[in-house]
Amino acid sequence: MNIMWIAIGAAAAIGLTALATAWAQSRIGAAGAAVLAEKPELAGTVIILVAIPETMVILGFIVALSLILRIGGG
Amino acid sequence: MSRVRIIGPKDGVDAVLRAVQDLGQLQLAELPDRAGVGPARLGPARERRRRQLTRLLEDARDALHSLSVAPQRVAPATIATADFARWARLARRTRREARTLLDRQTALRDERALIARYREFLLAVLPAIRKVDGSKRLTSHAVVVPASARGAVDGLASALRAELGAEFTMSTHPLPGGDVAILLILPNEFSNRLDARLAEARVPEVPLPDAYRSLPLAEAVPQMLARLLAIPAEVEECERNLAALGKARGGEMRKAQAAVEDWLAAASARERTAETGHAFTIEGWLPARSVGPLEQRVREAAGATVIIETIAREDWGAEDAPVVLSNPRLFRPFEKLIALLPLPHYGTIDPTPFVAVFFPLMFGMMLGDVGYGIVLAALALIVRARAKPGSLARTGAEIAGPCAAFTIVFGVLYGEFFGDIARRTLGVRPLLLDREQAVFATLAAAVGLGVVHVVLGLVLGAVTAGRKDPKRALGRGMSAVMVLLIVAALLAAFKVLPARLFTPAVILLLVTFPVLVFAEGVLGMIELMTTLGNVLSYARVMAIGTASVILAVVANKMVGAVGSTAVGLLFALLFHLVNFAIGVFGPAIQALRLHYVEFFGKFYSPGGRPYEPFGHGTALAVPLTQEKPA
Repeated sequence: MNIMWIAIGAAAAIGLTALATAWAQSRIGAAGAAVLAEKPELAGTVIILVAIPETMVILGFIVALSLILRIGGG
Repeated sequence: MSRVRIIGPKDGVDAVLRAVQDLGQLQLAELPDRAGVGPARLGPARERRRRQLTRLLEDARDALHSLSVAPQRVAPATIATADFARWARLARRTRREARTLLDRQTALRDERALIARYREFLLAVLPAIRKVDGSKRLTSHAVVVPASARGAVDGLASALRAELGAEFTMSTHPLPGGDVAILLILPNEFSNRLDARLAEARVPEVPLPDAYRSLPLAEAVPQMLARLLAIPAEVEECERNLAALGKARGGEMRKAQAAVEDWLAAASARERTAETGHAFTIEGWLPARSVGPLEQRVREAAGATVIIETIAREDWGAEDAPVVLSNPRLFRPFEKLIALLPLPHYGTIDPTPFVAVFFPLMFGMMLGDVGYGIVLAALALIVRARAKPGSLARTGAEIAGPCAAFTIVFGVLYGEFFGDIARRTLGVRPLLLDREQAVFATLAAAVGLGVVHVVLGLVLGAVTAGRKDPKRALGRGMSAVMVLLIVAALLAAFKVLPARLFTPAVILLLVTFPVLVFAEGVLGMIELMTTLGNVLSYARVMAIGTASVILAVVANKMVGAVGSTAVGLLFALLFHLVNFAIGVFGPAIQALRLHYVEFFGKFYSPGGRPYEPFGHGTALAVPLTQEKPA
């Protein structure tokens, strides 16, 4: 039972953060593409803006990994 | 950068500007604001010439654009009056001729597209149209119902049939994009009523090309179908004429463009000089090593009466100075990665050398496979050999080279050759760690890299701030120390370091905490939390790397798992190809992000002015008031 809850927790940690990141990136990416059409010189700034939400999924990944390691998955 | 001032007698200003333009190193500064010194004026004759040349340039640019003549650097010639007059006439004529040909080509293409859209419909209804044409009692109408109103077609047919009787017939034909073309046949006497009905329902007639609008459908349709076959030849003829025009006059137009841009740039530069009744002065920026050559050129051109003095560093502000990145040849390709961001402020740190080391290192750490590294190196060598110097492809290949080298080195450390092939066939063991199994060790290595990179960023931030804001420098330094202390405390707590180090590390943290708050305020604490988040962000190095190796192992397992060995091998190769493409793109983007967000965020100070020296064919050669050609 415990193992099941840990696995569900790990899946939620990575899944929910991935969804949140994807949602944020979709909004920022669309706006970024529009900006690049007008001002290609802002490519670096747009990359930064698109990349910022990725931290969420990376943190989710670390939490998921630590949970999986707890049940002997690694 | 050095700031220099050139002073000389007024009659020597043109010779000096020519020498400065020939050298192409001096970025002209704003006019010095001093009593008794005013901006130079061009004079009525030169103003008139400028207006004429601006028109010439517009014509030449538009002609070159219309003729699709590829841009090419041409050594600018001095304009003789005869040349100028000839070029002006030639540019005007070429622009007109090119425009006429382009307009004709566009009209032909539009006509072809219009007929092609209705071709199937016209072919289908042609027999019916001919039958109607032979009848005195019937008339035909061709209309288009938009896709959004498609559903109403049946209702319209029933209503018209009820109103117009049994002689009314209707045939529909779907068009690309969802619209429906409809041929309506009805008795002549109902024609006006139908027109009114269609106008009410806002159903337009099938749009025919202008030449056929006045003809009855029975005549127009066969002519249009024949025209469809004739148009491609006419389009090709236009293309041939455009190409011939470009070949005949493109070279001369480019020459004219270069010469005129040069003249206009010199005129703009002239207005940036200041003068008194008898003397002129020019101020500008150039790399310190170019001051000597500038002096030599100016002396040769204008004699010893012209003085060049270097303005002391204390007399100019760093915010006014332009920025140019100057790095050893090996690091230079990585300047392109910095160029994606605004330039750093003058006097702050140029991050190129750090990017040149850490970018390939991170890339290699993520991809880490001898096989993929060899493929990447081979591709980089091929592209480098074929691409022109200075081109984007060449720069990309020069960046990919070190990345491939690091990929091979890490491949050896991980014992990976196209995944686990070398391990399975030759029994090769990893020298450092097995990424497939040692997940925690790989994560620790990635976060360890993050600690080094982020702390380096904080140290650079302290150095940058130290020059003008010691308190901020102290804050940055304290953040770096605290990150290291937190890492030491964690390692001691997990017994990676001796456990006795835990207490001293925590005590030191408690000591440094007030210093951080003193230096950066409460925000310093939040910044420290963000910095720790930045360090954890490097876990992506492990995540991307592990995903890459797992995909490679899956690819290898396809041999023997899917049907015959040959089919399995093909699948494996395809899978490796996809993995290689992802494996190159993913690490490049992630390494770039780690630099831009996590590393640069600690010290990078954007907002530098780009270095745009006054020369031949440089940015200043394009007049500021000139509009882009349509």
